[in-house]
Amino acid sequence: MLNLAAEQSDNVLSADELAKREGLRARKPYVAEKLANIYSMEERGEISPIIRLEKSYLCNFQCTHCSAEYYMDRHLEKVLHVKEDRQQIDLENIRDISRQADELGLARFVITGGEPLVMRDLDDVVAAIDPDKHYVILDTNGWFLDDAKAQHLKSIGVEKIQLSLDSIVEEEHDEFRNKKGSYKRVMRAIDATIGAGLNLLLSTVLIRGQPKTQKFLDLCQFATDKGVGLYVSYAKPTGSCTDHPEFVIEKEDADVLRQLEKDYNVFTHMTPSYGSHKGCITVKGIITVTSSGEVTPCPYIDFSIGNLFETPLKEVLDRGMRNPWLGPHRPDCLIGEDPKFIKIHTEKTAGATHLPLPWGKGFSDNDSLTD
Amino acid sequence: MEVEALQKAQEDIMSETTPLFDEFGRCLPTGLSSHAHQKTRRYFLIDKPEIDYAASYQRLNQAFAISDALSQEQFEKRVSSILDGIANDESMKAILNGVKVPFILPKALYDDIGHAMDTVYLPAVASAFHTSFPKYEFKNHSANALNGQLKVADNSRHQNVLEQMASDVVVGVYFPCLLEYSVPAAVERISSLPKQFSLAGGFDTSAAFISMPNLLLRKEGYPPLLWLSGLASVEENVAYHYEAYGYDLNFNRRVHLGQVAEYWASGITVTS
Repeated sequence: MLNLAAEQSDNVLSADELAKREGLRARKPYVAEKLANIYSMEERGEISPIIRLEKSYLCNFQCTHCSAEYYMDRHLEKVLHVKEDRQQIDLENIRDISRQADELGLARFVITGGEPLVMRDLDDVVAAIDPDKHYVILDTNGWFLDDAKAQHLKSIGVEKIQLSLDSIVEEEHDEFRNKKGSYKRVMRAIDATIGAGLNLLLSTVLIRGQPKTQKFLDLCQFATDKGVGLYVSYAKPTGSCTDHPEFVIEKEDADVLRQLEKDYNVFTHMTPSYGSHKGCITVKGIITVTSSGEVTPCPYIDFSIGNLFETPLKEVLDRGMRNPWLGPHRPDCLIGEDPKFIKIHTEKTAGATHLPLPWGKGFSDNDSLTD
Repeated sequence: MEVEALQKAQEDIMSETTPLFDEFGRCLPTGLSSHAHQKTRRYFLIDKPEIDYAASYQRLNQAFAISDALSQEQFEKRVSSILDGIANDESMKAILNGVKVPFILPKALYDDIGHAMDTVYLPAVASAFHTSFPKYEFKNHSANALNGQLKVADNSRHQNVLEQMASDVVVGVYFPCLLEYSVPAAVERISSLPKQFSLAGGFDTSAAFISMPNLLLRKEGYPPLLWLSGLASVEENVAYHYEAYGYDLNFNRRVHLGQVAEYWASGITVTS
């Protein structure tokens, strides 16, 4: 993910941000124009969600808080003893999603997974998205991101790297990521990304009570000193975190973090930016396309709002915006903070083998806030 | 003519006996063609604040210098008169179960509502909030941008408040009770409420925040966004609002498109 509204308006831009935009305009004028239009789209009540693309769930890590673990073959086969037998998206499908997104004025793709840098066809995926039409971001654990890889990614059209860093304390990061040496690799990846001229965002998962700790403040300070934004994602009670309800934040954690935004270069998906105050960004600011073509309204909600093998993207987005949980403006994180929705989500996904639940099984046009 | 008179009499009887507000003080969304939620799960709420007349009066006097025209005692008496009048009406009294904020508005006549918000009311809210919560922030995202942008919304009855202000200091009570109403639904609903109810706009809502700067400061849950539905923007489908951001308070604008959200609410004003 990225600072969602950072591309929306040239109002109150830092010199660094302005230079980045001018650079993008020179290299990719079509993409820059679409990004510049997002603000006016919002003013017309239109949406421009970032598309997170999960073509493959292959990953070299097994993180404590992974939201995608239950989508991975290793979980399906070793834990649930089932196979992934649903149709999988291929490069032609991605080209079609890119085309549909472009026609709707959407401008941003995040390649995630799994770990994108273990995908053998990553270059082909970037090409299928078309970096001359869309702003392409890569969401990585950084293990394989050295100087040569960063330069290569830049050369194929990737614009931004989102790099996971869960603690400024090496041992804690490695423990959370269940991968010794991963902290050192992240530090290497930071330098490689900056050295290659790619934009960089650090991302971290926030667990209950953490915003008040000195270690978290140190992490915020580290990002700020580096001149890099720290994107903070609340731990959600889904995926691997289903077994860690104690990770789920309380309102005080969210509010303390909102205060920290004033002192550090730190933000969440709901942080107002450059005039955009979306609140919870389900559908409005983000969607995820899973490997089976299902569209979820947020990376952490395992209910689909439609399948792109069956339903055009526009109709799926319209369906999402009609849903009373997803479309209306709200200031809190639906899956991270709303107890009623969390309960519904937990109950409906319990025992499910193939996630997300298809349209009609999780979300439907009959949904109500009060039933 | 007799039929019309009979119908009117029946309507009068209905309005006197049918509750207009639920047990929590929410205005019931009856007979609306615009969007409002019929049922609420009461998720986005304002914690009921205790009225501290002395503190409210001190802040309002700091903002509007009304002490020569109105004493604290007079303020309390006039508020009590408003509340008693409502309490004595079966159809209206349940509004008192909800949040209520007494306020004072100065005697004033403005050519431009937006300019007055920019120069008088929003700076006064900023000052009251900062004084009460020095660690937190009031952020005006439309600072000095309201000139010529605001007018009284048609059929909102908000003009009544402005006309009263033109002739004297106004004492009123703000009720943020139109929970989960779209902006058009708030306007539509006010026209079927008793005449003493007006839709809150910029000055009265701001005065409520001066009176109680903690109105949207909620630590255990999220409070609603409060639209200034008594005012219309010159931009179609845009309206202005107060909104909490964590412990901070924001003033901002956004596109509403006539839609309803669980998070959106508007306020009603009753003046003496």
